[in-house]
Amino acid sequence: MHPTENLAGYVLGALEGPEKIRVETHVATCAPCASVLAQYRAVVSTLPMGLDPVTPPPEAWAAIRAEARRRRLPVLEGAGTRVRPNWRWAMWPVLATLVASLLIWNVVLQRELTRRAPGPAPGPEVEALSRRPGRLVILAGTGQPAASARLFVAVDGGGHLAISGLTPLPRERTYQLWFIRTGASAVTGGTFRVDARGLAWVKAPVPASLDEVSAIAVTEEPAPGSVSPTGHHLLEAKTWR
Amino acid sequence: MQVGEESALEVLYARYAGLIFTLALRIVGDRELAREVLQDTFLRCWDGREAYDPGRGRVPGWLMGIARNRAIDLLRSRPHQARLREREPLVGLVSEPAQRDVADSVTLRLAVASALQELPIGQRQAIELAYYGGHTQVEIARELGEPLGTIKSRTREAMERLRAALWPLIEAKREG
Repeated sequence: MHPTENLAGYVLGALEGPEKIRVETHVATCAPCASVLAQYRAVVSTLPMGLDPVTPPPEAWAAIRAEARRRRLPVLEGAGTRVRPNWRWAMWPVLATLVASLLIWNVVLQRELTRRAPGPAPGPEVEALSRRPGRLVILAGTGQPAASARLFVAVDGGGHLAISGLTPLPRERTYQLWFIRTGASAVTGGTFRVDARGLAWVKAPVPASLDEVSAIAVTEEPAPGSVSPTGHHLLEAKTWR
Repeated sequence: MQVGEESALEVLYARYAGLIFTLALRIVGDRELAREVLQDTFLRCWDGREAYDPGRGRVPGWLMGIARNRAIDLLRSRPHQARLREREPLVGLVSEPAQRDVADSVTLRLAVASALQELPIGQRQAIELAYYGGHTQVEIARELGEPLGTIKSRTREAMERLRAALWPLIEAKREG
């Protein structure tokens, strides 16, 4: 019997005793539960990323470095000099693995950012984006179930759209963002293309107040875009905060 | 060799210190204790006391696991100092200059924050009390005056909602 009621609690570290042992024993031999556990673990690892970031005190690194150096120094013991056990040989493979993973991740991330045309590298504007009050609209994949998008709309009307899961299009086709108003024509939020992995990060002008908009959608249109939507809604949002 | 090791630690610190400090501060609610957690986390890496197991997840998750365990240990050992913010809302903790972020991190941060906000309050409490409070489900049930089965269901349902909302972004980031 699969311990489905306990997998989430296990990943959160909220189980103890026999319940915890039962989960560990079960997932060691059950691939589906182990797969669910791995996904839960990945989700839990993102929880702190939802917090507003706080900068550590500037002197923290100096203190860590000083202590790390101190732990590497030889010490005097009794009548002779005894060298502190050389942790370097135990520690080097660990740090090498960590740095290799970090470098690989950084290279991949940098490659992804470079591919995210159009426009300049998003660093400074993204930092500014993170500080602006605004709304986050989540578009669900109505026409393409694997697709999703997040539209961040700042109070001053500027927007950024992050998309995943859309199929790359041929040159003569394009995706287009729409703000659909009740009793009035839809207003375009611009066109965009996704990369080979179906990802895009684009600036999206928000021409209408969200209070006047009944739905936000993404459609596929002939390049370079249409005056009004002609395609089905591939992504859509009808409610937002 | 000595310079190379220290620079490896510095690379890790530059990349993850902000995230770890933020997590620690959310748990312990005190800047000095959070700094202690930050120091302990990186020195445990340095000493080789914590072995990185790729099978248990990626580097950020691994580091945050060390930090979270240490923070919860402190929370339990110094309750008079450290329970200040146990029930604070998840976002808007402090107003300090944010570290420089890239597009991925901001998108994920906004997505995680909105996914949590969309959870029913009971589900969100079950997640937060477990993850940030270090409570067991038995303790949560007792604290909220709810049956244990209810807490387990809420936790599972919350995790399923979070998985549905966040897994596509996580997967997209990994494949990138």
